[in-house]
Amino acid sequence: MLLKRIAYLVCVLAVGLGAWGFYDRLINGHQNAAYGSYVVWGLWVAMYLFFAGTAAGAFMIATLDLLFGVAVMKGTGRLALWVSLVSLAAALLSIWLDLGHMERIWKVYLQGSLSSLMAQMVWGYTLFGLLVLACLALTFFNSGRALLRALLILGLPLSLFISGAVGALLGVEASRMFWHVGLLPVQFPVFSLASGTAALLAAVGLFGSSRDPNRNQQLRLLGLSMLVLTVVKLYFLWADFSQSTYGNVPQNVDAVNAVLYGQYWWAFWILQLLVGSLIPMAILIQPRLARDGRWAGWAGVLVLIGFAAARANIIFPALTVPELEALTTAFSGPHLTFAYFPSLMEWAVTVGIAGLAVLAFLIGNDLLSLQRKEVA
Amino acid sequence: MPDIQQQTDVLLRMQADLRRALQKPAQERRWVMVIDLRKCIGCHACTIACVAENKLPPGVVYRPVLEEEFGTYPNVTRRFLPRPCMQCEEPPCTPVCPVHATYRNEEGVVVMNYEQCIGCRYCITACPYAARTFDFGRTYTEGTAEAAGIILGQSRADDYERAANYEYGVAHARLGAEESPIGNVRKCHFCLHRLSAGLLPACTTTCIGRATLFGDANDPDSLVSQIIARPNVIRLKEELGTQPRVYYVM
Repeated sequence: MLLKRIAYLVCVLAVGLGAWGFYDRLINGHQNAAYGSYVVWGLWVAMYLFFAGTAAGAFMIATLDLLFGVAVMKGTGRLALWVSLVSLAAALLSIWLDLGHMERIWKVYLQGSLSSLMAQMVWGYTLFGLLVLACLALTFFNSGRALLRALLILGLPLSLFISGAVGALLGVEASRMFWHVGLLPVQFPVFSLASGTAALLAAVGLFGSSRDPNRNQQLRLLGLSMLVLTVVKLYFLWADFSQSTYGNVPQNVDAVNAVLYGQYWWAFWILQLLVGSLIPMAILIQPRLARDGRWAGWAGVLVLIGFAAARANIIFPALTVPELEALTTAFSGPHLTFAYFPSLMEWAVTVGIAGLAVLAFLIGNDLLSLQRKEVA
Repeated sequence: MPDIQQQTDVLLRMQADLRRALQKPAQERRWVMVIDLRKCIGCHACTIACVAENKLPPGVVYRPVLEEEFGTYPNVTRRFLPRPCMQCEEPPCTPVCPVHATYRNEEGVVVMNYEQCIGCRYCITACPYAARTFDFGRTYTEGTAEAAGIILGQSRADDYERAANYEYGVAHARLGAEESPIGNVRKCHFCLHRLSAGLLPACTTTCIGRATLFGDANDPDSLVSQIIARPNVIRLKEELGTQPRVYYVM
């Protein structure tokens, strides 16, 4: 109860800070953003990848209960769908604010280009959002079970497609060696599943119903899944970085070095590896702690922090390597730099969006009876 | 055999080439830019001419000049490499656009439709030459002093800054709101508005060393088509298959 009150308070403060960021963004446009014409995508794009991935992953977890009928996960489906919906809303808000002309978003729907992966992604995520909303609504009705199953069957490949499409969106860029990796569209669905699992771990562990008889088993199952997915994630990371370094293509090596030893070294070594991978693994590998709501829940939160940093570590470093070496000094002006650290306005907007997302989750969790509250 | 560039002033020759090209249907022209790195002295006049011609705001640049230094003393060389948009025949920037806001026009020039662009900046990330910049809505006069009367201060300079440019033959006034091209991606377009009026691109006419040449590569008699047939001509990052229409003479 105390934790929930603290969470509400933190969220309200975050939304308050975010309100200033939203105001600045809407009044001054992108002028106070730190990204520019070289590091062209910043914190908001990274957070879009993070929230969108979590949304797709949470949907996949929801199917364990609602589609595959995994007994131990009974009662978590609705909660997972709510996490998915809230996370998707945060993702779309983050990327919408990143547009130069927010009012023209309708053009992607009515005048979109079939050849653009970005257009495909926007259509995919919109369809996915509607599908999640419909699934969630159907869980509240006893009738319509067949329709719910049909939508879940449709949603499972769709969630794979949209999370993979984000990887492809970056992967198709042949001029960015760091992104132009065939494995990227394969990695992203795995990362999505992992961040969705972490979100559920946090939701069930910290805010789950203590009267649910399966809660400890759910935490254990999610924790074990988290462990396996973290190992897979670390393997992907190793394969990617070692291959890039061994290949020794300068632009690629520069980007990898930027992650490992550059201005974002702390985001990789401390947030992504230590906080987001090793500490949660140390917790979840111990059965006693993994079944404990608080330990497991906080492990989930740490994994999410690690994934947020990981998304940033995919976006920024590839852009901080100049396409042509002498560009760094060729022409000076605002927003023409290869160094990037998010501005206060960018942080405020992101904190606000995260606050809104968690607040929406908490309100939904309190008002919508998302979880089983009685003994089966 | 005398050098073809020595026969007459290349500007006069290119203007004649341009007039001839404009007689043809647009789709039969193949605009090409040739930059002779042996003649470029790094004066940046082309960069400034482009800024003035297109009224580029702070942070937006179409044609920077890259300066590189090679070797160690006493064997040191400097190279100046102007970098306009490469106007690729296979541009990686156009298919990624989610709303068809950037495309190759009938003359093969990669253009922007400012009213269509949503400002997602995906095209910037796709360009291997960093030839696109985003208009953040900056002005040169922001933070400068106000001045009364005849003294040139913010209020007077502002008038010039807000005046319309005529890229793509359309007047785009800079009114301070988030109106295009603010919030859009911008790029070099070979001064299409000048070409249609029978004028060479601003960077070409301004080049004091006659290092920048321009013309129709489909015309075998044009200066550029003769120069790009030489063996000492390269294009940037050809291995990417983008087929740039900007050539460098080494």
